[in-house]
Amino acid sequence: MIPKLALAASFAAVLFGADSSPKVFPYPYSQEDLPNGLRLVTVPTDFPNIVATYIVVQTGSRNEIEAGHTGFAHLFEHLMFRGTEKYPSAKYEAALKQIGASSNAFTTDDFTCYHTTFSKEDLETVLAMESDRFRNLKYAEPDFKTETLAVLGEYNKNSASPDRKLDEVIQDTAFDKHTYKHTTMGFLKDIQDMPNQYAYSLRFFDRYYRPEYTTIIVVGAVKAKAVRELVDKYWGEWKRGNYQPEIPREPVQDVPRANHVDWPSPTLPILTVSYKIPGYTDTAKDTAALEALSFLAFSPTSELYQKLVIQEQKVDQLMADNPFNVDPTLFGIEARVKKPADMDYVRDQILETVKTLRDQPVDAARLDAVRNHLRYQLALRFDNSDTIANILARFVALRRTPETIDRLYAQLAQLTPADIQQAATKYLTENGRTIVTLTGPGSAK
Amino acid sequence: MKLAIALVLTAASAIAQMRVMALPSKSQLVTFRIVFLAGSAADPPNEPGAAYLTAMMLARAGTKDLTYRQVVDALFPMAASVSAQIDKEMVTFSGVTHTDNLESYYKLLRAMLLEPGWRADDFQRVKDDAINALRVNLRANNDEELGKEALEQNIFQGTPYEHYSGGTVSALEKLTLEDVERFYRQQYNQANLILGVAGGYSPAFLERVKEDFRGLPPGKGFRPRSNAPAPITRNRALIVDKDTRSVAFSIGYPTPVTRANPDYTALLVASSYLGQHRSSNGRLYQRMREARGLNYGDYAYIEYFPRGMFQFEPSPNLGRQYEAFQIWIRPVEPPTAHFALRLALYELDKLYREGIPEDGFEHTRDFLSKYVNILTSTKSAELGYAIDSLYYGIPPYNQYLKTHLAKLTRDDVNHAIKRYLRPDRLVIVAVTKNGEDLKKQLLSDAPSSMSYNSPKPGDLVEEDKTVEKFPVHLAADDVRIVPVDQVFE
Repeated sequence: MIPKLALAASFAAVLFGADSSPKVFPYPYSQEDLPNGLRLVTVPTDFPNIVATYIVVQTGSRNEIEAGHTGFAHLFEHLMFRGTEKYPSAKYEAALKQIGASSNAFTTDDFTCYHTTFSKEDLETVLAMESDRFRNLKYAEPDFKTETLAVLGEYNKNSASPDRKLDEVIQDTAFDKHTYKHTTMGFLKDIQDMPNQYAYSLRFFDRYYRPEYTTIIVVGAVKAKAVRELVDKYWGEWKRGNYQPEIPREPVQDVPRANHVDWPSPTLPILTVSYKIPGYTDTAKDTAALEALSFLAFSPTSELYQKLVIQEQKVDQLMADNPFNVDPTLFGIEARVKKPADMDYVRDQILETVKTLRDQPVDAARLDAVRNHLRYQLALRFDNSDTIANILARFVALRRTPETIDRLYAQLAQLTPADIQQAATKYLTENGRTIVTLTGPGSAK
Repeated sequence: MKLAIALVLTAASAIAQMRVMALPSKSQLVTFRIVFLAGSAADPPNEPGAAYLTAMMLARAGTKDLTYRQVVDALFPMAASVSAQIDKEMVTFSGVTHTDNLESYYKLLRAMLLEPGWRADDFQRVKDDAINALRVNLRANNDEELGKEALEQNIFQGTPYEHYSGGTVSALEKLTLEDVERFYRQQYNQANLILGVAGGYSPAFLERVKEDFRGLPPGKGFRPRSNAPAPITRNRALIVDKDTRSVAFSIGYPTPVTRANPDYTALLVASSYLGQHRSSNGRLYQRMREARGLNYGDYAYIEYFPRGMFQFEPSPNLGRQYEAFQIWIRPVEPPTAHFALRLALYELDKLYREGIPEDGFEHTRDFLSKYVNILTSTKSAELGYAIDSLYYGIPPYNQYLKTHLAKLTRDDVNHAIKRYLRPDRLVIVAVTKNGEDLKKQLLSDAPSSMSYNSPKPGDLVEEDKTVEKFPVHLAADDVRIVPVDQVFE
């Protein structure tokens, strides 16, 4: 760690990336904490003219611990566009329009992210406007009620997709206590009740929209010192909070679970097999091993994919997802089956593949191919400032530092076939399994 | 040949040799966009889907020497892929590689495009995928895209743009491997090729690529221009009936305004003001979602924009000879559907009658002057836009748009609004359950009164009194209901 910039002495600044070790995140960056707990990560790049800001708030549907309030983190993402006294929503929109910015937000299980991409000369305007709404958001009850209808509209536009319904049922079936029981959209009954929850919304803002929950990521045609000065100016006075949610712990699952969705319109049957896995870690091998395993066993180069999709052509989509979540979550395998009669066969093939992963070490050469794939996959995405900020946001949401990426890839670099087998044995177990199927009208279950 | 006009050369294929768009830079990545003017408009009669299956047999199948498995295995460690986008005019094969892997990647890409394997088992899989993409992904799982594509089909009826670029189910079922090989032989030639490469490659590498693609037949160098879509003379509605929770609308009509048209920039300002894609600053979004909470968003377009629910910026290389003006109303709750439609038509009518306001003109012009930098901020997009500019015969898009915007006046925009926007003579597509109910509402002049879950300002309440009675101008013969399983069949 060699400091490259002279930074003001009132804060601790750490600079990474200047040494010669082979890092997968190739950009030098600065990471700084303001006295109020706000963290700033600045990544100057040589992509011209454009700057992306991604503001990560570590609250998502995971934080929705009170009954009847699922979907609130996501509703809040909407409310943040409802304006302040200084910038009522119309003025905020007009200002963003005038600078030609692309601005939006998204919410996940674990975090909410507000992102804006714009020309470099507008950095101060953006940081000032963003600070204003994070500190001074003010919306009246009628506007609140109208915005809840836009959230219902979002649920409606999603509702034509069977995948969304499957996610709802998988999470509801696999979890009992933890808030991952509901999706980020929330339960429909809670969305329909949102118009009546104005007072709760104010409480939600007061709890989580605080500097200690927030990291500002600035990537692009910028200088770290100038960014820090602007952040001090506009965000320095933001008051720290003191709320700590008690997220319920999920009890250990001790029997396999199953559920089924009858989908009202014609579709191909979908089979999902999920397993309970630990929350994200980069200090142990678990997350890295499961990530590699998802590619080894279920990507297009895997034996199973080649058999079911390419040779037998019984399945038209096969994929696995190893999500990086804060708390213990689900490793998911999904197959879309061409004929309902093949559902049981495909399920047995997936279970057999999982058993093989537990029983035998994987081929070392294939593990090397996966490692190469993951490194190049990342490198190919570092082609513009907005995408770099977007990738960083997902890691910063977990550990509040870009170093997270390098730590994970360091674990990947050290994996052996025995590690993969160990992770499969430990986590891809029958008792931790949830199978959910979905079929359209007229299909046998 | 009946008419000389059918031989008018298009800007797209006036030169009987391949065209090259090369954007070298110091990057560690190399991006390819290889465009063949061999899209679905070139499908032979009765073979909708030939262009689509041909492209998929290149991008998702084996080569002469390698099985598909070997192709996938070779691409995997590089994290590289070859993807295909099939539209009416353009088929685009794109991919990106790290310079570490340039030689290995290009070797595969070259073999996939120039030495396809044409294996029967690949063809069966690719065909199944194409049919399921229509039956399941589009018809069953995505009401919004379904509405947009049904609108395109209706607008362009009687032209080579009429059928969906992915074909129809019945035609896909009949197409043979021989049909697809024939399509490749006839359409994949140098005259139809725009070769795009960007990033960290050497001049010698580019020469080698050009030499390889010179192995394709020269081609004829021109293609008859497609016939223009027929004007729409009165409003008509198509209701796609399916079991779904809410009502998705798409509205539009054909326009001759492509990027090559002198009024393109003026009309772009008008449509951006009315409904910039996925932005909260458009008029439709403000009045429908922000003020009334009718749905998740409402937007307007003068160029084809597929997959808008998944992406914020449009994909390049969807160049066309004819475009459509479109309004996209995201799904609304069934009781508010008639009102939402009326409100969108009211806003369109208002823009037509009153023109763009002065501040709306200035803000939208300023917005687009800077937003264009974001549109082209990735190498792949920059290359894609450069290829499109070559296709349309215009300067680089950023420069073109900024120059035109700088000269543009409010009068120019209002002139384009009068000339190309229409508050009537529209095609309205709705995807809904109980199509007969919606049809009855649309045919009735009864007010569609709104009630809200919170008090509204007086001017909005007043405006609603006009909107709830706003005429949709449909007669019984103008409304057709189709069961979803007949769409794209």
